[in-house]
Amino acid sequence: MDLQVIGSQLLVGLSRAMILFIVSAGLSFVLGVLRVPNVFHGSLYMIGAFAAFTIATGLGSNAAGLWLALLAAPLAGAVVGLVVERALLSRLYEREHLMLILFTWGIMLILNDVVKLIWGADYRSVLAPPILRGAAHILGAAVPRYNLFLLLVGPLVAVGMWAFTHKTRLGRMARAAAVDREMVGVLGIDVSRILAAAFLVGSYLAGLGGALVAPTTSITLGMDHTIIIEAFLIVTIGGLGNLWGALVGALLFGVTQSLGLLIWPQFAIVFPYAATVLVLLVRPTGLLRSVW
Amino acid sequence: MRAQFLGRSVPASVLAAVAILAAAPAVLPSFYTYLLALALVMGLLATSLNLALGYGGIYQFHHAVFYGVGAYTAALAITRWGWPAWAAFLAGPPAAALTGWLIGWVCVRLTRLYFGMLQISLGSLLWVIVLRWYSFTGGDNGIHGIPLPPILRPVENVYYLILAAVAASLAALYLIVRSPFGATLQAVRDNPQRCQVVGIDVRVHRLVAIIIAAFFAGAAGVLYVALERSVFPNMLFWVLSLEILVMCLLGGWFTFLGPMLGAAIVVTLRIIAGRYTENWTTILGIMLILLIFFMPEGVMGHVQERMIRMRSQAPRPRPGAGPDA
Amino acid sequence: MGKGWVALLMGVTVTLAAGMFLSPSSVAQVPTLGRNVKVGIVDTYSGPPAVFSNDALNGFKLALGEINRDGVLGARIEFVTRDERFSPEIGLSMARELILQERVDLLVGTINSATALAISALAREQKIPFIVWISKSEAITGAQGHRYVFSTTENTAMAGKALAEYFARKPFLRFWIGAEDYEYGHAITNSFWRFMKRAKPEATLAGQTWWRTGEPDLVPYLTSIMAGRPEAAFFGTGGAGMANVLRTMLTVGFAERVPSAIHTAIDFTALRPLGLNVPEGVTGTTDYLWYYPETPANQAFVRAFQAAYGTPPGFPAFHGYNTAYFIAEAIRKARSLDREKIIDALEGLRIRSPVGEVEMRACDHQVIYPIIAGVTKKNLQLNAIVAANPVILRGADVMPTCEDVARARRR
Repeated sequence: MDLQVIGSQLLVGLSRAMILFIVSAGLSFVLGVLRVPNVFHGSLYMIGAFAAFTIATGLGSNAAGLWLALLAAPLAGAVVGLVVERALLSRLYEREHLMLILFTWGIMLILNDVVKLIWGADYRSVLAPPILRGAAHILGAAVPRYNLFLLLVGPLVAVGMWAFTHKTRLGRMARAAAVDREMVGVLGIDVSRILAAAFLVGSYLAGLGGALVAPTTSITLGMDHTIIIEAFLIVTIGGLGNLWGALVGALLFGVTQSLGLLIWPQFAIVFPYAATVLVLLVRPTGLLRSVW
Repeated sequence: MRAQFLGRSVPASVLAAVAILAAAPAVLPSFYTYLLALALVMGLLATSLNLALGYGGIYQFHHAVFYGVGAYTAALAITRWGWPAWAAFLAGPPAAALTGWLIGWVCVRLTRLYFGMLQISLGSLLWVIVLRWYSFTGGDNGIHGIPLPPILRPVENVYYLILAAVAASLAALYLIVRSPFGATLQAVRDNPQRCQVVGIDVRVHRLVAIIIAAFFAGAAGVLYVALERSVFPNMLFWVLSLEILVMCLLGGWFTFLGPMLGAAIVVTLRIIAGRYTENWTTILGIMLILLIFFMPEGVMGHVQERMIRMRSQAPRPRPGAGPDA
Repeated sequence: MGKGWVALLMGVTVTLAAGMFLSPSSVAQVPTLGRNVKVGIVDTYSGPPAVFSNDALNGFKLALGEINRDGVLGARIEFVTRDERFSPEIGLSMARELILQERVDLLVGTINSATALAISALAREQKIPFIVWISKSEAITGAQGHRYVFSTTENTAMAGKALAEYFARKPFLRFWIGAEDYEYGHAITNSFWRFMKRAKPEATLAGQTWWRTGEPDLVPYLTSIMAGRPEAAFFGTGGAGMANVLRTMLTVGFAERVPSAIHTAIDFTALRPLGLNVPEGVTGTTDYLWYYPETPANQAFVRAFQAAYGTPPGFPAFHGYNTAYFIAEAIRKARSLDREKIIDALEGLRIRSPVGEVEMRACDHQVIYPIIAGVTKKNLQLNAIVAANPVILRGADVMPTCEDVARARRR
């Protein structure tokens, strides 16, 4: 088998893993701090992608507009997430997980129709900023620039999230609330605002994943369905609520899938699921320590 | 108190319902007979889930897999192996139960969300295999026009087959719920630690509940084949599993017949509302949210609770927070 | 009695007789249907495929407007639609409702090939004609075809054969296949390569690359294909997936280095969402273009469609338009709403379509369309990508033969 082919497959796997990681990190954070398995996390990802399209085309698809799309579109996901959290979800934190799953699924159903109402059913596309188009030549091999960019952004987000949860006051309080919500409340801190902030951060990451995936794909309704199940599986194999677990899970998921294509194309889609099952058989609560 | 109430009302209401349902095709146009048959199939599916979920407190997140396995077993046995239809029908539920045993055996080590997520990954693995294996399962196109005996051609005949099978299944499920096993299962749900201490094998009870639930889900899958003569990979997709959960929630998962009602509501909504609006999922979403806010015990549960309250004339706390409490 | 009386009587008689022949009441001797025709349409009206299904519905409505002006044997054709949400189980329920409750005379649909096959099986059981108008799966009128199912859309067998025979005229020998890993991708790829080998036995396959359905990032796949240095490439993908291939080609400069062929790459509906972000020089095929051929019939159809819906018709609109005329003509020919008679009338029926006369082949109930092949090119006047140097391939030449179909059905 051609080394170039293996290399490029590995690159797809890795850069895809970065997007999966960013989305899963948000899901995992919300799960860890708020104890909410947020099914409409996938809708926020889709909204991020559609928002990137609107911003980019609204500004004439020039370099500045495309960069702004990458930066500003995630805010659309964050805002929608925050509104739902403040208006509805914040009243349900005491309910059991099953209710929360069904509730957030209900929101997903509604958001899907809202997206259809705003953007229509047509598929959309966004270009990458000019500097990220085309291929860079590394050691004689052509490597697509946008994939390199994603390989850069993924670790940046990981480090950023780590710094946020360990170095900022808000992040530390969120982590404390994850362990013992009442205790934080006793200290005279407004827990509700911390939870809202945590949900905002999680939603932002979903939107960021959507904005980053936008230049590489056709933006369509239904994007939410594919991503959410994968994100949940990644969070589970990584360890619920564990940031680094999400990274490990995303890498496992992305790489097994793209290498699976080389081994047995017709069943490539089976590999990540099989890998997930194998991991959970050996370590039922995920590879890394769950915060639960 | 609740158990007493169930004890008195369920057999009587089942008999009355069966009598009414048996007479239905005589007065209903055939399309509504078909719709009723579909609602019964989905109702059985939801009720089977409720054995694990409502009575067992098990996070059975991917129940649709067993439904799909039952249906695909029957469909493949007829179309690929040339089995007689009746033999294929009989093979469906055991195949589903076997799958339930395999998946359950792996999952019962875990509890709560981990259980649910592991089940979703195992179920999704089965789903992608069905989706991709074109030469065997027909891939994403599914299998259509499955040849069945001519007696099953008129929708009324299929309806009676379904009614009989669903009634028998419900009776069996009811007996299981009322049996010592059912009582222990509910005790395990309410307090697994204490049960462990008094020497009840929590895992075995959960596993058995999963196998039974899978068996009846498989039966529902077979009945779907009898009704529609088609199977699709969507039958094993996680979205359907969520829909079944909604049916249980909608009807009330602390009642025996609640899931039947919930299934009837969802099936009707899907077909009837779908006639008038493209956005019927929004209606489902809004209903779901209202329900969770205002009637978390479901329609049937709500009615039951009010009746109990009226009889006892005393305010009664809501049922426990749920399977995970 | 005077001669005058005789003349008068004769005159009256002649007038009466003439009147009998000419008056509308004598036309009533031709059988009338006695009630309106009802067509039930099941299709995806929500989600991404709705772009195609709405286009088909618009074409259908446009034709009904024309047909109902004069009526069909004194009746009008009416329709009801149902949204199957890209889900075959909902589609089946909807089809059953249309048959049993709405009592439609014919069923029409759908873009979803799984739903089309499911409803096809139901139509066979319920003995009701079902016309498939968008789904391109060749199984519909091929392996799983039967008396009650018809297709007014080109299918993967025809498209693959057309593209292969057109592309075989170019001097390439070393091919690479890149395709999306789903039913349509496999079907069209198999068909393309089978007919390419038949047209050019010396052609070789340098390699193939498959990616999963909805794979977001195709850049690495295309880069690796370029690294394999094939002389030409074929891509087996459609809809949003094809749009993704074209856009990625632009990103990595693929089309300039590897001449490529994709079915629907010149298709107006599929290209519309991409604007001008499409590489030039990609070879494509389609069964309909609103700007070619520039025949009066096509121009009239395009003008009417544009006036009604504000956009030029895509290929689904063309299929929808023809479907309505096939239904109307079949009923005129059958002179009845008897389903079996309608089916008999549809077999071998020829109608005038915007691109000339087209035939519903009797042996497999598959419509015979000419296929247009061409190369993508920017047209700044239209602000769209169009097909340069279009060529029309005769429909009869790109069809699988009746024997091929019979063999597939036996299996």
